[in-house]
Amino acid sequence: MDLSPFESDNSVSCRLASQIPDVCRTEDCCLGIDEAGRGPVLGPMVYGICFCPVSKKQELKDSKVADSKTLNEVERENLFQKIDESKSYIGWALQILSPNTISTSMLQRTKYNLNAISHDTAIDLVQYALDSGVQLKELFVDTVGPADKYEDKLSKRFPGIDVTVRPKADSLFPIVSAASICAKVARDRVVKGWSFSEDMGDVEADYGSGYPSDPKTKAWMLKYLDPVFGYPQFVRFSWSTAQTLMDSKGVTVHWDDDDEDGEKGAQRQNNKSMLAYFSASAGGKDQTSTHQTHRFFTERRLKSLDAL
Amino acid sequence: MATKKKRMPNMQNDSWVVIAADSAIDTQKHDSEPAFVRLRNPVTDAASLYMLSDGDVQLFEVKAFEEDFHSWFVGQTVQRDGRLLFVTPMDPLYLMLPYLVKVGKEGKFQPLDQVVMDEDFPACPRLLSCTRALSSLHHIAEEKEVGGVKFHRYSQEKTMNWLKKKVERTVTVLKARNISVGEGVKSTTYIRVKSESDYHPEDFLRYAHGILSEYLSEDLSKALLKHLQLPELTSPKEPEPPSKKRKLSELPVEAEEDYTKFNSADFARKPPKKMTAAQKSLAKVDKTGMKSMSSFFSPKVKAEKK
Amino acid sequence: MSCNSSVTRVNVSSVGQAQRVPVHLLPCEIEHNGPAQVSQYLTATTKDCKQEKMVSFRGRGLKGQELSCPQGYTGFVLKETNKPGSDQEDRTVKVSSVFDKLTYWNLETPPNSDDTVVMAMDWPELAEAIHGPVED
Repeated sequence: MDLSPFESDNSVSCRLASQIPDVCRTEDCCLGIDEAGRGPVLGPMVYGICFCPVSKKQELKDSKVADSKTLNEVERENLFQKIDESKSYIGWALQILSPNTISTSMLQRTKYNLNAISHDTAIDLVQYALDSGVQLKELFVDTVGPADKYEDKLSKRFPGIDVTVRPKADSLFPIVSAASICAKVARDRVVKGWSFSEDMGDVEADYGSGYPSDPKTKAWMLKYLDPVFGYPQFVRFSWSTAQTLMDSKGVTVHWDDDDEDGEKGAQRQNNKSMLAYFSASAGGKDQTSTHQTHRFFTERRLKSLDAL
Repeated sequence: MATKKKRMPNMQNDSWVVIAADSAIDTQKHDSEPAFVRLRNPVTDAASLYMLSDGDVQLFEVKAFEEDFHSWFVGQTVQRDGRLLFVTPMDPLYLMLPYLVKVGKEGKFQPLDQVVMDEDFPACPRLLSCTRALSSLHHIAEEKEVGGVKFHRYSQEKTMNWLKKKVERTVTVLKARNISVGEGVKSTTYIRVKSESDYHPEDFLRYAHGILSEYLSEDLSKALLKHLQLPELTSPKEPEPPSKKRKLSELPVEAEEDYTKFNSADFARKPPKKMTAAQKSLAKVDKTGMKSMSSFFSPKVKAEKK
Repeated sequence: MSCNSSVTRVNVSSVGQAQRVPVHLLPCEIEHNGPAQVSQYLTATTKDCKQEKMVSFRGRGLKGQELSCPQGYTGFVLKETNKPGSDQEDRTVKVSSVFDKLTYWNLETPPNSDDTVVMAMDWPELAEAIHGPVED
């Protein structure tokens, strides 16, 4: 797994993929989807797909690919090695969503929530497999949100493909488990080798699991809190752990869309500054003046001052 | 997300970001001491901030670009106050006019230093030290010399001719900088693609007159309008909203094109010169429609991908 | 209006010690006056694309561009050295920094010529037309 395309710019999202096995272009295939790193406040979230011919399902099962969550890091690395060695019939692809992408999407004016991000990423990966000529017949997905709704959404999006969305799909279907291993291995490696684009000197690499509940993670978050900037891009600013720490220990920052979302906030902002203008243009103590500042100035937000 | 905090007032501001004419803060002359002073604003009649260069030779106006929710990074510091101050050269005659007009009503010639004075504004007589004040005084006043002493009397005729030249110069710059001078609804945001030839010459004159009126009393502003042979607008003056900016995420390129086309084809026609109140409200309805149109075109947001 | 008598002198000799610094106008209000690790966080992570710069601040995506001071103009940061006790006393400010271009940032919106700060830069040239001397 060559992570260099992501590591060359870890502020954006990146796709990594194996070669497409020839057999996947000619035989009916199954495809599993899983994610790694949904919960942590640190590092990327990785989406993975794995696919192989339906005829190879038993072989995959025999290779003892199991739920990645029950494995330790070494076992996962070994299993990934096995998947990689089976490149004649197993293919994979990953989407690494950088923490910066997650922060800026979730905190966008028009909010883009994590479930929507997950669904779109999964759909894009399936579409990638189809575009690459994989003869997709079966799709197995670990659920994000209500399973039946998601299943319905995917079935409509990919007509002719048999879609199964299940909670704990990674322990039920070996192909999902394989996808889960690919995603988890990538996330672990990325987090371990994170290169900070901020100029922070030596950063302590012992950030624990990245889960807000982990005391090591919490300690790291406290140590690397900058009062003005908050955190490096390694941290997901949209997590309440990060927000709460910045609220209590950082300086307060106000945006024009605070409290409201999207257009409504922008609208209010416009109205407010307009009112501010008209009251200010009356000019100090003179209450009788009916003068209205010309729009050349109001449009440019220019006004006279009465003191420095 | 965490709780939103209330904005606390910025009590102790002690630093300002300024863009100043090189003649105002002359970095070559290290011993000069320009100063911010307060003088009577000819429009509001209240105090406004100006700057006098070292030795009071030149006058400058101070305006602030100010938008809510802005701050500066200056080097390795934060400055909370996000205003940007402009210090631009100012014609001292605009500030002297109200004093001359007031005394001129008596019809007598008077020595300037008895005219340009103001007990509320101690810095007022310093205007007379400005090189431009004396050398261009003949644009607004008649002069008589008796026994080596100069006397002046305000001249409306001269002033109007002088202001007309100012208007013409302003029109030239408005055209050169392609500044959108259309009325109300056709203001900048929606039809900025319009070029100079799409406007009526009267639009420019009226706009320039409006800008200059930021320096003139209401009476002088009206007199200048007459002098420029521009009819007074009879419809009640309504506050024009400042141009609305799209605050949504970026539009995709295709939509942008569609949008512009839609605009120029259907909405770019000039509204009638004089709008009735009803027409004005109709025009407003149009604009609201276009606003939601823009949100209609706003893209389905997606995470960045490679 | 007693405070109208107070003037604020600009100590231009301080310009000798003033540093040329990068200045950034941000689309948010930061409730703080004081030091910040701007180069370590902002500058180090800013990406230069063809038409615009990109960075994120507090997890929000910013897009910006550089804007030069109008011709014949220089940017200054003025700082009040010691505030007088009463509003009738004269005040003094010194030049603490100098700049000839600034970077302004929009929240998510790509920079364009309709941005108010870009339009505000029209002002010096207009001011020249309104205030420049007229021929006889």
